[in-house]
Amino acid sequence: MNTAAHHSRLPAAVSTLTLLLLIAPFVGLALVTHWLDFHFAEGDGSAIAVSLGYSLLALLLIIALGTPLAWWLARHPMRGKWLIDALLLLALLTPPLAMGLLLASMYGPYGPAGHLLERAGLILTNSAPAFVMAQFYSALPYYVIAARAAFEGVPRELEQIALTLGHSPWRSFVHVSLPLARLGLAAAVALAWVRALGEFGVVLIVAYYPQGIPVKLWVNLQNIGLNAVYPLLWIFFLVAMPLPLILGLATRRQRLI
Amino acid sequence: MRIDYAIEHPVALHAAFDVEGFTVLLGASGEGKSMLLRAIAGLIPAKGEPFGGMPAQDRAVGYLPQGYALFPHLNAWQNVAFALRGPQRREHASQLLERVHMADLAERYPSTLSGGQQQRVALARALARRPQLLLLDEPTSALDPVTRDDVIAELIAEVHDFGIPALAVSHDPHLAAVADRLVLMHARRIIQIGTPESVYANPVSGAAARLLGYRNVHRGYIEGTASAPRLMWPDGGMSFPINSHAAIGAQVDWMIDPAAIRIVDARDTLSDVIPASTEVRHVNGRITQLGLRCGLGRLWVTVPEGIQLPESLALHLSPEAIRCWTRDI
Repeated sequence: MNTAAHHSRLPAAVSTLTLLLLIAPFVGLALVTHWLDFHFAEGDGSAIAVSLGYSLLALLLIIALGTPLAWWLARHPMRGKWLIDALLLLALLTPPLAMGLLLASMYGPYGPAGHLLERAGLILTNSAPAFVMAQFYSALPYYVIAARAAFEGVPRELEQIALTLGHSPWRSFVHVSLPLARLGLAAAVALAWVRALGEFGVVLIVAYYPQGIPVKLWVNLQNIGLNAVYPLLWIFFLVAMPLPLILGLATRRQRLI
Repeated sequence: MRIDYAIEHPVALHAAFDVEGFTVLLGASGEGKSMLLRAIAGLIPAKGEPFGGMPAQDRAVGYLPQGYALFPHLNAWQNVAFALRGPQRREHASQLLERVHMADLAERYPSTLSGGQQQRVALARALARRPQLLLLDEPTSALDPVTRDDVIAELIAEVHDFGIPALAVSHDPHLAAVADRLVLMHARRIIQIGTPESVYANPVSGAAARLLGYRNVHRGYIEGTASAPRLMWPDGGMSFPINSHAAIGAQVDWMIDPAAIRIVDARDTLSDVIPASTEVRHVNGRITQLGLRCGLGRLWVTVPEGIQLPESLALHLSPEAIRCWTRDI
């Protein structure tokens, strides 16, 4: 036996162990699901629609507002940037339940922003906008941090070359920065999607209604029992998985450099 | 084309000279040559002409940075077509690739091309923009030494063919030697401008001679008397007579042609010879040069063919072959 084969055994063994640990809860799920009596609780269908529809909306908002910020952070050196880093970390660190409370105190009916917005007809408690807002806050920092790293990986020189070739900064961004950062950006989008869709703590506080899947799982558990949780969980996997999976596969298939 | 640019940040630099044909700005690393090109291309703030005050995308320059910066996600023709608009862009890009003899490799991605091939694609891409001025940053640095001379010859032929003035900045004397016009930069100043023939024949200072790649450029000072001046070479620990008119006590740079140094036998008791020992032999075709250690310094000596080297070497520097430049301190 040569030493190279010997050395590759340990990582393989550890990897196998790690994968086994990862898969364990899902094997458990497969075992405890009552396959012969697989049915949904009342309202599960609308929970799926709420989760998918509003998460998609939140994701679009996150991409629209987070991408410029990520690019700006990646490209413009300035003093006091650590303050912005700290702010992003703060948003990441805040426990979801606490973030829900903070949002409620700011955007709730008695909060300073909520009070003003309510006059304008935008109610940010137990409403569709509140649901989107909750997901936006929980997933945005993840997206910004991942997208910034993606933009930082694009050689600045290539963006500048695009300028010298007669392209405006915007065209240079679209034709050079975006395609070269696409692997990292796809990962950032996938991460934001997963975070938004699975968010429970923030949503529980500011948008118990309309019920998305995570809250509905909780409601089913409280009202009916475990048997009402598993079918919805399977559906959750089924609807949540395609986007990040396809993003990952599609970007990895296109060879870069 | 007249270039006149002043940069304040990150370092102060002012350069004014004419670009004609293939002009090489020769300077050591860290002189700010690349910065000057980036300023002309509009990528860093600077004042000057041409293109002063215009945003980078409006300047009619073709900029080839060091390493060429081809877009890795685009193949060769797409790289060239990047600067083109309209339905004819592919056709136009193919024509440009043909002119730089790269039509066969139009579908290849940059990572699969050699340095010289990448350079030609980058040249075609820069030309697609219809520039009034080409800017080339260290065009020889990414080239394979074996094919370098041919690639440079090709590059210069293409630049002449397209008829666009080109400014190449470099620290490579090989490139300087083939320029139409040569500009030397030292200590962030232009110190000499001219054809390669005139500049190589008469470097204005020791620094200029070093930039041009001359060997045997050293520091020293003048001692002795006005009627019998001697050049003291501290590194070699020796002084020897010279024919220079430099003032006694003056700090100088001095240079001697490797072919003007005579190898003698150290055991012959001659005056004013420098004991030396062989460090390295440099064989270049029919010419062999020896790198000889003299104290702390080194002298390169061209060895005539078929000469028998004595066992213990000494060197004789003929006074009329020594050139001296007073150093400004």
